[in-house]
Amino acid sequence: MFDTDILLQDTQEILGAVPVTLGMALTIFVLSTIVGSIFALVEYRRVPVLRELIMAYKIVFKGVPMVIVIFLAYFGLPPAFQFLLSLLGINFNAHETPNWVILVIAVTGCIAAFQSEIIKGALNAFDTGQSDAAHSLGYTNGQLFRRILFPQVVLTAIPDLTTSMMVIMKALSLGFAIEVVDIFAQSQLTAALNYYYLEAFVIAVVIYMLIAYIVTQIADRLEQALRVRT
Amino acid sequence: MLELKDIKLSYGSTQVLNGVNLSVKRGDVVSIIGPSGTGKTTLLKCINYLVKPASGTIAFDQIRMDYQRADKAAIQAIRLRTAMVFQQFNVFKNMTVLQNVMDPLVVVQRKSTDEARDIALRELERVGLSAKRDSYPSQLSGGQLQRTGIARALAVRPDVMLFDEPTSSLDPELVGEVLKVIKDVTSSGITSLLVTHEMQFAKNISNRIVFMDRGVVAADGSPAEIFDAPSSPRLAQFLQSELAFQ
Repeated sequence: MFDTDILLQDTQEILGAVPVTLGMALTIFVLSTIVGSIFALVEYRRVPVLRELIMAYKIVFKGVPMVIVIFLAYFGLPPAFQFLLSLLGINFNAHETPNWVILVIAVTGCIAAFQSEIIKGALNAFDTGQSDAAHSLGYTNGQLFRRILFPQVVLTAIPDLTTSMMVIMKALSLGFAIEVVDIFAQSQLTAALNYYYLEAFVIAVVIYMLIAYIVTQIADRLEQALRVRT
Repeated sequence: MLELKDIKLSYGSTQVLNGVNLSVKRGDVVSIIGPSGTGKTTLLKCINYLVKPASGTIAFDQIRMDYQRADKAAIQAIRLRTAMVFQQFNVFKNMTVLQNVMDPLVVVQRKSTDEARDIALRELERVGLSAKRDSYPSQLSGGQLQRTGIARALAVRPDVMLFDEPTSSLDPELVGEVLKVIKDVTSSGITSLLVTHEMQFAKNISNRIVFMDRGVVAADGSPAEIFDAPSSPRLAQFLQSELAFQ
């Protein structure tokens, strides 16, 4: 039932998709954390209008299934890009935008809504008495952010951000719907050629687990190193 | 040196300060006493603009500011000449004791790291925390945290120290070590405003006592005038209940 001979051959093929998957995941993680942090800061500072817009954005992107967002981006982004580029007078065929770029944008858009909640939670956990102390000593808002708030917020957010990284890894498997080949998609393709489906998906499971283990270990060590200080 | 006039402030529909007038001379040690919720802490926070009064004026030597037209330069100038010690300590949790004391000197006052370190070490010795200089706040007791807060405040060489109930969050056995440090500070001649419920301590270290009640200064006098001859039934009742409790 379970053919071990095929494992080595399949593993080599499926491992080939790991760098692409990790590259996209890291890109989405960085971009969504930046966007989510900006959203969280707007909410934390209670910036009028922008705050309401971000709340609406979050309702949409947290509520709509990610695969629908990916399809909307797939069909909607190229014409939208084309329109914007033509307005700017740039001659470029946006319909040639690679699918992986569309996937990165779509998943970033969805995950940013969740990252925003994580950062907002970490900001709310910050003991604001320290802000009073810093302001009373003459710190500017920028100095307060860099020296005191940011280092503490990052530490609080690490466990949830690690979870986000794993959610992104798994969300990328939805990219197969628009022909982006990640670890899952490569397993599917490999199995489709030799009909060893069970073997291919077991390999995918092991690879996902290894990545999860490594990411968790790195995050735990980083958190421990920083936690000693607080 | 410091003069507050007609300070008014409300939190929502609750009027907290209802026209406070207070003047402090250089070298004064003024204890502010009064029932909870009468605006003692809020008044201290008005001085360095941690809360924004609805109206009133502040004069700090040459610096004058109308709170309705508060300007950043005046706020910063006042903040640089005052230092506050908080009820909840409010030390920076991501920094060691030494870094807590050094950081404002380096970041705000632009002193060199070496100079800031020398000043910080001197102040930590003054409050008896030299041995804990490399500890993080999570490794300290409440008394040690508060002494860190006091060292941090002293290090910036303020003209006025603002103590906001510095012992209220401490276990009873830790109160003494902090009061001893505050007594050393106030006896060194630095102008101080102290919000406290430690009546005996206030009586011993202050040359003036201000009694606040319902958002105004209800009595203002020497410790003898306030404690030995209370000018109103409200003050007498307050002192009786506080002293009986202690």
